[in-house]
Amino acid sequence: MKVCYSINGKKKEFEIEAGEVLLDVLRRNGYFEVKGNCYMGTCGACTVLIDGLPYTSCTMLAAKVDGSEITTIKGIGTLQNPHPLQKAFVEKGAVQCGFCTPGTILVAYALLKNNPDPSDDDIKKMLDGNLCRCTGYVQQIEAVKLAAKMLKKGDE
Amino acid sequence: MLKLKNVKSCFTPNSIQEAIDILKKSDGKAALVGGGLDITVFPNPIIEQFIFLDKLGLTYIREDDENIKIGATSTITDIAKAPAMQNYLKGNVKIALTELASELLRNQITIGGSIARHHFYSDIIPALYALRAKIMVSDGELIEGFFVDDFYRNDLKALMETCIVVGVHLNKYDDSFQFGSKRFVRNATDIALLNVAMLAQIEEGVIKDVSISVGSRPGPAYRFEQGETFLRGEKLTKVLTEDFELFTKSNVDVAKDMRLSKEYRQHIASIYAKEILLDFMGGVR
Repeated sequence: MKVCYSINGKKKEFEIEAGEVLLDVLRRNGYFEVKGNCYMGTCGACTVLIDGLPYTSCTMLAAKVDGSEITTIKGIGTLQNPHPLQKAFVEKGAVQCGFCTPGTILVAYALLKNNPDPSDDDIKKMLDGNLCRCTGYVQQIEAVKLAAKMLKKGDE
Repeated sequence: MLKLKNVKSCFTPNSIQEAIDILKKSDGKAALVGGGLDITVFPNPIIEQFIFLDKLGLTYIREDDENIKIGATSTITDIAKAPAMQNYLKGNVKIALTELASELLRNQITIGGSIARHHFYSDIIPALYALRAKIMVSDGELIEGFFVDDFYRNDLKALMETCIVVGVHLNKYDDSFQFGSKRFVRNATDIALLNVAMLAQIEEGVIKDVSISVGSRPGPAYRFEQGETFLRGEKLTKVLTEDFELFTKSNVDVAKDMRLSKEYRQHIASIYAKEILLDFMGGVR
């Protein structure tokens, strides 16, 4: 069957299996920035935004979100023009192996869209579903707070 | 990793009747898809068709004088953010919902899916039990409401082959009622191993009415009726909370040993029961 998405602002049409999850469709079509790991919604590495909300793409049926707007980490910033969250994660040492980082940043991005001045608890609660085995979580929380400050100053 | 290899077709019906017609014709090989989390995490090789419920108009949270009415495809995030839930039972139902799983999963988990799938030991079902919620089920023509106990007493599998859960009605309680719930879970995204939920009507310090539910994975959630009898009519004091802790430890049914020993589950359940009562007293410790 065919599905149509808008991915990072570009219309895309893919042939999929009816039982496939979104993660597999994205990676098969070159969106390797979406990481696959647990396939149970446990680790958050595969997070994408679907119509602005963060979801684990490993548990989302690709056919169900036909017609949706999907944002991957490459949709919020690039190497040449990183998003404040991406800058802040580097600055605060919240990135090591980088496997969890796309998912974590997208969840933080969704948080800051709705809550530009989050408390530590707000951040912890929001990042609860994104596991990191390298840096731990303190640097991530600091990075989100730094990004919030940068965004307030209009650094986008 | 294609977990659902046998699925060949997807339907997006525009009405409940259309969805039920497809379901009935499928010979048990179709799955209704609300959020789809359970279907992808616990794939069933029998399933050959998906019936997406997105266009049935079941994503809503409305209220009238007596009830808060929640459509089946409303997600936990939808419900927790709904204006009607902000002060419902002092906001404690909303808090319970936002403690469930992670934001990522709360965006996907639907209330209907939580009810209709088979994991009724955990989180949402114990809360619905305690709240004396009504589960609304449609066969395409009539909508019938079941209390949670009755719903799970039905032959659930047969019911779900011919009917759809269309929503949940939560009774509006006056200020004399309080709700509390606690969950034991290994990590944020896992299914809870143990839940205790309680709704109590407290007037002039006396527990007039109470409903208590315990969910202990992998057994089904149940009403802890012995505990309700123990508390009903009693004056809520610190001594009572301690007595109830001991009573719960001895009498609560925590099903099987699974990742936690029976003794540990009983211990945790008794502490949760006491803590909820202490919360009802205003958080006195």
